[in-house]
Amino acid sequence: MSVETKAAPLVWPEEEDPREEHLLLDPRPRAELNQIVLDAMHRTGFGFWAAVTVLSLLVLIGLGGAWGYQIYKGMGVAGIRRPVYWGVYITNFVFWIGISHSGTFVSAILRVFKAEFRRPITRGSEMMTAFALVVAGMYPLIHLGRTWRFYWMVPYPNQRQLWPNFHSPLMWDMLAIFTYVIGSTLYLYLPLIPDVAMARDHSTGWRHKLYRILALGWRGTEAEWHHLKTAITIFAFAIIPVMFSVHTIVSWDFGMTMKVGWHSSIFGPYFVTGAIFSGVSAVATVLLIVRKTMKLEYFLRPEHFDAIGKLILIFSFAWTYFFFSDYLTEWYGGEAVGKELITFQAHGPVAPLWYLMLIMNIAIPWLTLWNRRVRRSTWWLFLVTIGVNIGMYIERYIIVTGFLQRNRLPFDWGVYNPSLVEVLISIGSLSLFMLLYVVASRFIPLVPVWEVQEGQITHSLRRIGRALVPSVAELE
Amino acid sequence: MNDTTVLMALVDDLAPVPDMLDTLRENGIGDGDIAILSGVPYPERVLGRPMNWERLPLISASGALVGFLTSMFLNAGTPMLYSIYVGGQPLIPLPPTAVLTFELTMMGLLVSTFLGVLWESTFPTFGPKYYDPRITDGEIGIVFRCPAHQTGEMGTALMAQGAQEVTEPEEHVL
Repeated sequence: MSVETKAAPLVWPEEEDPREEHLLLDPRPRAELNQIVLDAMHRTGFGFWAAVTVLSLLVLIGLGGAWGYQIYKGMGVAGIRRPVYWGVYITNFVFWIGISHSGTFVSAILRVFKAEFRRPITRGSEMMTAFALVVAGMYPLIHLGRTWRFYWMVPYPNQRQLWPNFHSPLMWDMLAIFTYVIGSTLYLYLPLIPDVAMARDHSTGWRHKLYRILALGWRGTEAEWHHLKTAITIFAFAIIPVMFSVHTIVSWDFGMTMKVGWHSSIFGPYFVTGAIFSGVSAVATVLLIVRKTMKLEYFLRPEHFDAIGKLILIFSFAWTYFFFSDYLTEWYGGEAVGKELITFQAHGPVAPLWYLMLIMNIAIPWLTLWNRRVRRSTWWLFLVTIGVNIGMYIERYIIVTGFLQRNRLPFDWGVYNPSLVEVLISIGSLSLFMLLYVVASRFIPLVPVWEVQEGQITHSLRRIGRALVPSVAELE
Repeated sequence: MNDTTVLMALVDDLAPVPDMLDTLRENGIGDGDIAILSGVPYPERVLGRPMNWERLPLISASGALVGFLTSMFLNAGTPMLYSIYVGGQPLIPLPPTAVLTFELTMMGLLVSTFLGVLWESTFPTFGPKYYDPRITDGEIGIVFRCPAHQTGEMGTALMAQGAQEVTEPEEHVL
């Protein structure tokens, strides 16, 4: 192989031009990049206001009305009954914690591994993490029933001379989520500072005041950049184990019980893999909508969705592996309750959901995402990723509510159907996530412009033999 | 330096910046009197600037230690202060202690890293500073302090090397 180091002429047949394909090989002046992002933030047409109105109403009905009604009337209005004492609320909690893995995975893990395609999509993913955690954090409070007793879990010296019992996985859960919320919010904010400084320099009125406060006086000096880059590196490495711990601990809420189906040592990695699978799928769904509605086609290109599609396929394989391993162990063991549980899933009342889960999480991703055209097709990828999250929601629903319907002795069997209150609260929380994202997208630069420009500076075309190939310079 | 002036050279390309810095040094302006403002991070070795010792990892490690000690208090201190024996369980069981220790240590590390950035960068500071909003539009600013009598000479030299303008910068309230 001959490597010619002199600059190659940038002449390329139009149909093969890598600059059209790769954002980082298609640099534009910084002012133009800024303007694209600012225009997207300022675009509030009819669609935006319609979305905000509808979502606000749903939040009001779900969280104001239904949750308020539950607080007033008591937990009896929810569908949970013995023996199914964990219902849709815990399902939603697990689901949203799973979605929150999106930002950390895309931003931290891909940053550590220097996956360059991450650059324009990190902010959008980190925002998903922050808002998904807000929604997830609500569910233990909703499930608590007497929400106002929450402070009993906070360790502080009190007249009762009681401290929370740290032996309980529920306390581990609270601490892990608290750590993850704080870490993710700070990890969202730190790389945002240079971009809000950019917004500060290009805004007036109340927006200028807001960005001025958020930018903290950023000027872009060498020292500021140096501290910021060091901090981002520390955060990227530190938040990865925190991310793993959060969903592992959520899985231990189940795994630490002696319940058949839950008491499994594989639940930790199984849950984490499922969380990343659904989180990365949700990133694709959200970014496809963002790209279309905010006209960010320059930044979010087919190459990015192609890469995300590959990740989804890989995590579909991994999730299937853990699912099958868990299933096979239970099936081969042949314990009476375990067999009943398996029959219940495959032939019982949850069977349609169970098969739908397998179709959405295994069949469809495997049949479609190997295909480059599907991964790069807006509509196909949108449908596949929506399907994955429906499948992953069903998986959590079956694990939480399905497994509780079959216990060791038949007198302790039961049925569960979510009540209207539970359904409305679930819709309200989904709407809250969407509302927060839609509103924040008009305040927060959704694309980290400085990171994109940094990538464009380090990427170039290089001639190797007869080919002009993209190459990246190592600045750090 | 007495009787000095602050100047800012704006450049739209990184290439001439290291040479401009050499010019400033040759004219007796030390690295301590020069600051580079940019819209993207350029490492010191790219700019030809001296490497700075970074205290942030030390701050982060200190925060992690505080988190670790807090976890020790919650895991071991509170059960000993308010003992409740639950049938057959040790008062301070190691596996749950490990879980909580990990979480609180990481929380200490993450929070202290963030506070460390604020501390090291003296954020927030909204007072007047030498700045130009064109920095976030891709311009690179070289802010330096030089003797007043050298102002014209410095400006001419930097303009010859590719600066778009060399002016006395305004102090912006950021």
